[in-house]
Amino acid sequence: MAPQTPAVVMDNGTGYTKLGFAGNDSPSFVFPTAIATKGPAGGAGGTGSGRPAVASKPNFLTGAGSGGGGNLSAKRGTEDLDFFIGDEALAAAAGPGYGLHYPIRHGQIENWDQMERFWSNSIFKYLRVEPEDHYFLLTEPPLNPPENRENTAEIMFESFNCAGLYIAVQAVLALAASWTSSKVQDRSLTGTVIDSGEGVTHVIPVAEGYVIGSSIKSIPIAGRDITYFVQSLLRDRGEPDSSLKTAERIKEEFCYVCPDIVKEFARFDREPDDRFKKYEVQQPGGRSVVLDVGYERFLAPEIFFNPEIYSSDFLTPLPTIVDTVIQTSPIDVRRGLYKNIVLSGGSTLYKDFGRRLQRDIRHLVDARIKASEARAGNAAKSGGLDVQVITHRRQRHGPWFGGSLLGQTPEFRSYCHTKAEYEEIGPSIVRRFALLGGPGST
Amino acid sequence: MSQSLRPYLSCVRSTLTAALSLSNFASQAAERHNVPEIEAQSSPELLLNPLTVSRNQDERVFVEPSVNSVRVSIRIKQADEIEHILVHKFTRFLTQRAEPFFILRRKPVPGYDISFLITNFHTEEMLKHKLVDFIIQFMEEVDKEISEMKLFLNARARFVAESFLTPFD
Amino acid sequence: MLLLDYQNLLIESQLRERLKPDATPTTLDQIVSDFDNTTFHLSTPESKSRLLISLSIKCFPQLLQYGAQSVLEREYGPYIVTPPESGYDFSVQLDLENLPSSPEERDDLVRRISLLKRNAMAAPFEQAFDEFASLSEQAKGYTSESAPQGVREGGEVRAIQYREEEAIYIKASHDRVTVIFSTIFREETDRVFAKVFLQEFVDARKRGVQNAPQVLSRDEPPLELQGMPGLKGAKGEVTYVTFVLFPRHLTPQRRDEVISHIQTFRDYFHYHIKASKAYIHSRMRRRTADFLQVLRRARPETEEAGARERKTASGRAFRVQA
Repeated sequence: MAPQTPAVVMDNGTGYTKLGFAGNDSPSFVFPTAIATKGPAGGAGGTGSGRPAVASKPNFLTGAGSGGGGNLSAKRGTEDLDFFIGDEALAAAAGPGYGLHYPIRHGQIENWDQMERFWSNSIFKYLRVEPEDHYFLLTEPPLNPPENRENTAEIMFESFNCAGLYIAVQAVLALAASWTSSKVQDRSLTGTVIDSGEGVTHVIPVAEGYVIGSSIKSIPIAGRDITYFVQSLLRDRGEPDSSLKTAERIKEEFCYVCPDIVKEFARFDREPDDRFKKYEVQQPGGRSVVLDVGYERFLAPEIFFNPEIYSSDFLTPLPTIVDTVIQTSPIDVRRGLYKNIVLSGGSTLYKDFGRRLQRDIRHLVDARIKASEARAGNAAKSGGLDVQVITHRRQRHGPWFGGSLLGQTPEFRSYCHTKAEYEEIGPSIVRRFALLGGPGST
Repeated sequence: MSQSLRPYLSCVRSTLTAALSLSNFASQAAERHNVPEIEAQSSPELLLNPLTVSRNQDERVFVEPSVNSVRVSIRIKQADEIEHILVHKFTRFLTQRAEPFFILRRKPVPGYDISFLITNFHTEEMLKHKLVDFIIQFMEEVDKEISEMKLFLNARARFVAESFLTPFD
Repeated sequence: MLLLDYQNLLIESQLRERLKPDATPTTLDQIVSDFDNTTFHLSTPESKSRLLISLSIKCFPQLLQYGAQSVLEREYGPYIVTPPESGYDFSVQLDLENLPSSPEERDDLVRRISLLKRNAMAAPFEQAFDEFASLSEQAKGYTSESAPQGVREGGEVRAIQYREEEAIYIKASHDRVTVIFSTIFREETDRVFAKVFLQEFVDARKRGVQNAPQVLSRDEPPLELQGMPGLKGAKGEVTYVTFVLFPRHLTPQRRDEVISHIQTFRDYFHYHIKASKAYIHSRMRRRTADFLQVLRRARPETEEAGARERKTASGRAFRVQA
């Protein structure tokens, strides 16, 4: 085991997988956590039933060598090598013969067979590393059952013989990633993480590196919903192109968060040249059409703050959720949670998202303080509460970047469980990890 | 099914069926405790005569009955190094997932590859003949699985070797 | 995935992205790893349009000894930076504003740089192949008995200690080039699997791929390596895999392909051992699930549920609501 190999950081999310080496400022590969295998999609959802996909008697290979080389891959018995991951999987599934699967659901690994192969390909094809030479840092969602950790360790150590393994909670890594922000003075692992990706938004309180599981709340509004909302606005207006892809591009390029919708509407009417934009779409067939981009610029991200404009069944604004989460956490950490609200994930990248969130939460907090002071009859004065939302440049791949940051620290390896320890104690060893970057370390 | 397997399995079946006559029996050592006596081995009068059923020198089943529990240990056939490794891997994989298996013992009895511990609580909750069925089926399938995995490994090795060497051709 | 790529995919995609005609130069500072403890560093130290690619490889001094410099100069001539970036063994720099204009040339450049590790490692192979050519030329004049000592014995053994405990040895003689990999398996499972795999490598020639190199495998150093310094490892721990390349593999047309391919042997071998373990895992998962199902049948609740199921005269089943 050479001492200088960089640690491998793998952040497998529901939608996208981020792969790379510790010490880099961005992941080397970002691709969908998808795997395309032979056969129709969806059939292999559960591992509970069904025979192995590969024929149980592979002895038809005997004597097949006489056929020469050309048809080697056409022979059966090797289906488990015939698959693609990531973007290649999407491409392969578009053609015949392959079915697309997503081995991770709601952040947790559902199909271990596919995940094992996904990892195998990630390591050998994309990262090109010999796992015996590298330490691995993997991520897991909050409230991941320890059995899943054990299964992960079983695969990493037994199949791949990786030198060492550390499994960190995504939210904690997102906190570590925020250390790059100038607003963060002390590198504490206490804070509230707002993690908003493609499918779901989580608000996760973390106290000294440990997730407060009972207070986690999730919101069914995330990137995909914003895209749909933009699309519906485009459709309502009868724009010439309102495909999901166009909506996504408009969302990524033009959307921002405004301080006040009413004023923003007024401003759009006052200075239309400045505010309204044009977006050109190349349609298949070479035609190109020009779309107007209007109020959706600020209305789309607004659904975080006023969900009623989009959804009829989920009506609680994000700032209120954050406030509730912190209020249901233990009282002695609340101050720290308010002071360090960290954003993570692609759907938190809108301009001024953090600022608006900070203002709204502060309003809620101030109102509550005022009310309690009034109830106390001005007998007790509150010293006020510091609310701070941290935005930083590494937000998009926050958990991965946090992993990269911690993975390059000199003490990282001493926090990992090594292959030898695994052999000694067994998979249960990964139920506990010393807290990386916690108190006592640099 | 080979000639000697059928009598072997039917012998194990009748042995197990006979051994699985269990009754509730409170611990004599600690009040309000109830331990599998075969594991505690505290008083000889509660243990019955253990029995080995052997098919050949590599394959055998060891049945240790007691008043409220039976321990069944299986030695799986392992003709060579490969089978040895595969059996070891497979039994470890199973015991790692012992929780939902109820009757699987997390550690095999020395000299055997895998052990089951069936207590009177299991026989009260579950159907006795089905439990026996399970053990018999387990024994059948394990052998099959091991030899299939071995076949796979050979086939895969051949395939891998040929694919690597073909570009030189 | 069956065979491993020869090029580094990440470098390839990064460069392709940056060498597009309409790409805007951006800063870059990335560490990229490859098999066998090879590390690349992609950076833009001076300005955004000057891309520095550095390679660090464990056995570089040995490679230099076997003529790596000339191979690398041939491949990367104008792009080489001397001295290389500190901490690395070899650097090339691309000026993104001053690149070959045709797309084909750009593609070729991307491809060549992504093969950096392969090219560095190729040097001793090329040298041995050349030596083979000259030896076989010399040997033409002699019968096998009358040949002078040097021709009969073949050239020196080139040793490349490309990993901590593993090495490649290359030896040319007048009718063959012998490539020997020494490899270690730490784990019992891997060792047993490797044995099965190697047996098939050895047997492959007998079955179908007659023209493939002859493969031999053994637990102790083969005759070619006798007297080599630095052969370590207790007996049985290190496996020596010998590939005998025959003249038909050594023709100038085929040598690039052969060199690329044989280099991947060790990683290919290890990759497939791991992939089979992964497959065996998935088999065990299925089998475990099957066993669980059998055990679940022992629970009487399912029996009761079955009793409530009634059948109609036509044979269709329906459940009686409790």
